[in-house]
Amino acid sequence: MKTLVNVARYHLVDRLTYVALPWGIMAFSFLVNLVIATVLPSPQGDYTGGLVTIYIFLLICGAISMTRALPFGLMLGISRRTYYLGTALLIAALGVVYGLGLTLLQAVERATGGWGTGLHFFRVPWIMDGPWYQTWLTSFVLLVLFFLYGMWYGLVYRRWNLVGLVTFVAAQVLAGLVVVVAASITHNWAAVGHFFTTLTAPALTGVLAAVAAALGLGGLTTIRRVTI
Amino acid sequence: MTPTISTTALGRRYRGQAALEDVSLEVEPDTVTGLLGRNGAGKTTLMRIVTGLEFPTSGSIAVFGETPAENESVLRRMVFVREDQAYPDLRVSHVIRVASWFYPNWSEELARQLLTDFDLPLQRRIRKLSRGMRSAVGIVIGLAARAELTLFDEPYAGLDAVARQLFYDRLLADFAEHPRTVVLSTHLIDEVADLLEHVVVLDRGRVVLDAPADDVRGTAMTVSGPVTAVEEFVAGRAVWHRQRLGARAAVTVAGPLGAAAQARARALHLSLEPLTLQQLLVHAASSPADEKVSA
Repeated sequence: MKTLVNVARYHLVDRLTYVALPWGIMAFSFLVNLVIATVLPSPQGDYTGGLVTIYIFLLICGAISMTRALPFGLMLGISRRTYYLGTALLIAALGVVYGLGLTLLQAVERATGGWGTGLHFFRVPWIMDGPWYQTWLTSFVLLVLFFLYGMWYGLVYRRWNLVGLVTFVAAQVLAGLVVVVAASITHNWAAVGHFFTTLTAPALTGVLAAVAAALGLGGLTTIRRVTI
Repeated sequence: MTPTISTTALGRRYRGQAALEDVSLEVEPDTVTGLLGRNGAGKTTLMRIVTGLEFPTSGSIAVFGETPAENESVLRRMVFVREDQAYPDLRVSHVIRVASWFYPNWSEELARQLLTDFDLPLQRRIRKLSRGMRSAVGIVIGLAARAELTLFDEPYAGLDAVARQLFYDRLLADFAEHPRTVVLSTHLIDEVADLLEHVVVLDRGRVVLDAPADDVRGTAMTVSGPVTAVEEFVAGRAVWHRQRLGARAAVTVAGPLGAAAQARARALHLSLEPLTLQQLLVHAASSPADEKVSA
């Protein structure tokens, strides 16, 4: 456990990448949206989607943790498994703290009627519009999911370079295609639609958690044969 | 005693190209071994397999008696300083601090001493360092870690002669106080010749020499003097190399030469000079396979 914590600390030494940039970029996105909402108010309230910036940046952080930080990490006398799990511990900790931060900001947004302009930045309909603990949990799951996804991309790149990366993306597109074709052939679109329209927000969080676990397993399998 | 490193018929192929082939060797505890050979001979590949960063395609390897790959009880006990080490975008002080968390025998005192010796700017980012300074960071980690098995792969690329001497001095001094197994790969063979207790030479992925350094040093002698005297002396000996300049000749013969032969050389007013390690290796690398150095 001590080694896992040390791996997490190793990443955190780079505060710029893991702390300053995710929040800085999201703050920038927020300010841009706030200005727009102020000068161009919309009667139904402004829905922005700008919150996605922090998730996208965490995906990039995940990729960095398995590319730029990997050679020195593995020089430190630890196994690939420990390196992966220590990094996963980092994102679990960051997910708890950052998720709480997003929850607090959402509470402020709600209390101020959207920062006085009707802006919906931290409130996302359906998925992140429930009670605070639900927002916290969903934020946590999503932050971890994006980071683990980025880690997997980073590992695929380390092992198989650009060709591998392209193949990896193509494989995901093909997997999606198979689902679409299968749903069409078996005339199951109604069932698919029913599944998503009746899915509750907590159930959606559960589905996302399962996806995150699958991504983590994929990354853990990929790192096993990475060479430096 | 269990050898620190032991390999049996170890091999590593990359797309049909053999980087290592049939490597069987042992490295004894608390010795300094030189891993020598030309570019692409397989030195780095061997060290990467020893440290579990690369996987062999054939044969087996044991470090401290166990397989190193993904084996933390083994990995913890070694440090690997390599020429092409990539660092994240951190400051020198950060990198040193991170290293100190992971090596159980880390000496903060030695690290600080070495940082001062090499005059490293603590607050500078690693990627802004010159090549020599980056090498020095690796050397600081490699020595301060005081790992039971310390591997240096061309650790001083870009370092000036003064800094290299500093490295040798510090390595020897700390080795004397805290014995450990050191494997050092380098092209500057004559510089390290006195440090080495054991020499392993790789050529195109194969071990061509594996012997105590003292045995290697007596392997060949260059006899020089008047042509007739030299030719008389070397008659019947295995000649490696002949060079003639006017009435004088220099002939390299296989050694070692016994006391009688040496006395005879003196009587003939010939000068005898043992080949340096570097000369031996150059000779071994440029000669056909059947007359490789053997000791």
